[in-house]
Amino acid sequence: MSASVTADSHAAPAHHGDDHGHGKPGIMHWIWNTDHKVIAMQFLVSAVFFLLIGGAMAVAMRWQLGFPGHPIPVLGHLLPSGIVNDEGAIMPSGYNVLVTMHGTILVFFVAMPLLIGVFGNFLIPLKIGAGDMAFPALNELSYWLFALSGVIMMSSFWVPGGAPGTGWTGYAPLSSVAAYNQTPMGQTLWCVALFVNGLSSLTGAVNYITTVITMRAPGMTMFRMPLPVWAIFLTAILLILAIPVLSAAAALIIFDLNLGTSFYKPQGGGQPLLWQHLFWFFGHPEVYILILPAMGLTSEILSVNSRKPVFGYKAMVWAMIAIGFLGFIVWGHHMYVSGMNLTLSAAFSVSTMVIAVPSAIKTFNWMGTIWRGSIHYTVPMAFAVSFVSMFVIGGLSGIFMASTPVDLFVHHTYFIVAHFHYVLFGGSMFAIFAAIYFWFPKMTGRMFDNTLGWIHFWMTFVFFNLTFFPMHNLGLGGMMRRIADPTVYDCLRQLQPLNVVCTIGAIGLGLATIPFVVNLVMSLRKAPDAPANPWNSTTLEWTLSHPIQHGNFPVTPTVYHGPYEYSVPGLQKDFLPQNEKAPAHVTLEAH
Amino acid sequence: MNQAAYNDASLFHAPQPEAHDDHAHAYPPTPPSICKLGTIIFLCSEAMLFGGLISAYLVLRQAAGCWPPDFGDGIHLPPMPKLLTGINTVILVSSSFAYHFAEVAVKKGKSGAGWILTAALMGATFVGIQCIEWTELYHEGLWFNKGGIYGSTFFALTGFHGAHVCIGVLLILWCFYLQVTKRFFTPQRHVALENVGLYWHFVDVVWVFLYVILYLV
Repeated sequence: MSASVTADSHAAPAHHGDDHGHGKPGIMHWIWNTDHKVIAMQFLVSAVFFLLIGGAMAVAMRWQLGFPGHPIPVLGHLLPSGIVNDEGAIMPSGYNVLVTMHGTILVFFVAMPLLIGVFGNFLIPLKIGAGDMAFPALNELSYWLFALSGVIMMSSFWVPGGAPGTGWTGYAPLSSVAAYNQTPMGQTLWCVALFVNGLSSLTGAVNYITTVITMRAPGMTMFRMPLPVWAIFLTAILLILAIPVLSAAAALIIFDLNLGTSFYKPQGGGQPLLWQHLFWFFGHPEVYILILPAMGLTSEILSVNSRKPVFGYKAMVWAMIAIGFLGFIVWGHHMYVSGMNLTLSAAFSVSTMVIAVPSAIKTFNWMGTIWRGSIHYTVPMAFAVSFVSMFVIGGLSGIFMASTPVDLFVHHTYFIVAHFHYVLFGGSMFAIFAAIYFWFPKMTGRMFDNTLGWIHFWMTFVFFNLTFFPMHNLGLGGMMRRIADPTVYDCLRQLQPLNVVCTIGAIGLGLATIPFVVNLVMSLRKAPDAPANPWNSTTLEWTLSHPIQHGNFPVTPTVYHGPYEYSVPGLQKDFLPQNEKAPAHVTLEAH
Repeated sequence: MNQAAYNDASLFHAPQPEAHDDHAHAYPPTPPSICKLGTIIFLCSEAMLFGGLISAYLVLRQAAGCWPPDFGDGIHLPPMPKLLTGINTVILVSSSFAYHFAEVAVKKGKSGAGWILTAALMGATFVGIQCIEWTELYHEGLWFNKGGIYGSTFFALTGFHGAHVCIGVLLILWCFYLQVTKRFFTPQRHVALENVGLYWHFVDVVWVFLYVILYLV
């Protein structure tokens, strides 16, 4: 901050509360802080915490499926008594709880906060040249609502009856009748947690949309915005339209459970299927809420590491808009076997397959982006390329299930489990890892350890495929989802070796988080060593050096061209930052 | 480039920073237009909340065949009080007009506190009459857990809406307090008044829909 600014009377209100200026930040700096960069770090730490919890649950589940009834070696006695028996082996009811909480935690407390809370918060203001979000206090409120919802969700383990075991989809009437689920308190807390979590998402989304529309730096037109900003902007619109429907549906579950209403009870004229419609009206846009930001982040990482512009920038944007729109008219493809009208099934089948078109546009454009590029083999690039490959596998198996006759056979089998883990882990999580490694130097001012990064990448890539690819075969072999012990079914016994393979993969995948967490912690302990622009990237955040002050840009930048000007013919450098004018003799392809 | 870059034919123009905004470290209050946009986006999510509830109601009602539904237990469920609620609807819609007159007065430099209080009192009257109606229906045998989905949907939808009206009345009273004690809203600065107004009008519009589908048809 320059002296002239300090002297300015307008600067005076800046020095209140969270902004202690030059001293070492105190504890309050990390508790209540309206700086979007600090809020992003709060989300990051919380989400990694939940990732470890939710991931450990997954490993425990895999142990039970691979070696049913055997006590879990290390985790066994750490799990609450309602889940494991005295010997430390998982009980069937406990398995249901793990399925439910693993899904809920990974979707609402890991993937969403990482993609939207961390990268939405950190990147939007920096990439569009704004000082902060439009409503900084609302932004911090969003984090604390998220933290509160996490506490509520985890507290359900310790109430009478324990945590709910109704699946992350919480289908009625199992979830809405206490006599069926036996966990009315846990189920109510689950609904309340989702409600509060939804409020957090909504306050965040209001902020993101308003910020993107109104606070772009001069020259930063909508079609000059970097793709991660576009992706998170569109995601925020999906949040605004989808989350309230889940909140309404969850409120009706609370009423059914505690007030004796009959929304989902056939005896009182209610309909269990109503929950599925409401839930999936939210649930399918939610799928795109989890993948659109990942697509945006990946597009940028591929471009930077290939030293080439994103192939078909505008097509990328329109494809995301198309995916976002189509996401609202396909929810019925989750309900082919729920007793839905067959004509309606056909309509949902067609609309679902149409999504393959914009998805394929994106995939081919990613290939076009790295095609003949000068590829830099960095850890984020490895994760980004894996994202594309894994997303293609998950996307293609999705088309299988879009077709009603195929879905009738594979629905509720491990084929589905394989499919959505290829898009959620192979897709979203790989993009999250890529983005964490890519923006780590900007977020912390420090370079991560490359060796540990590569170990993390190869372990994740190999063990991810070892865990989830055989699940396709398990599913086609007839293994149902959400069963605690496959060996009690005669027809599934021959598949048990594959289950053991999956379990070994899952344990490896769990171990793969060790180099990741060690890398984060060790890198944070050393002194800041990252150059301002380690990847020679063009977007505005890389023009700032560490530490970025509260308020970001000392002088509001002016933007002169699109975000991905790499390897422009006629320039000495192979990249042209957005705030630098192109020399007169150079013509840029994009505007 | 340069100047032309500002005027690219995009849907939303990047705002020109005002002179005093140039140093990013200072914290000028968020400009009114941005606050209003944020409120409108928030109200879109509110619309989806009521959209979800109303579609749930319509689906259940469609499936029930006749309305009030007949569960074959010989209990006749009471019809909805169309007239009393009709008067109530007029009161709530009028409060939106009262609130609008308050905004007009403030923009002209007057206090407008009388109109603000009128809007709040009309909102409170709406809640009061709604409470009377709930009590009467309770005595006629309709409640959350009585009358199946007929009771469940009615009390959930009017309850969600009533909660929104109560919050609205509190917000309007807060505006009234600020205006009476501090003369807080001026022709230049009244964004909070406008935002509360947007919320209040939204709540009224939702009620018109609810009145039509819950009481009239």
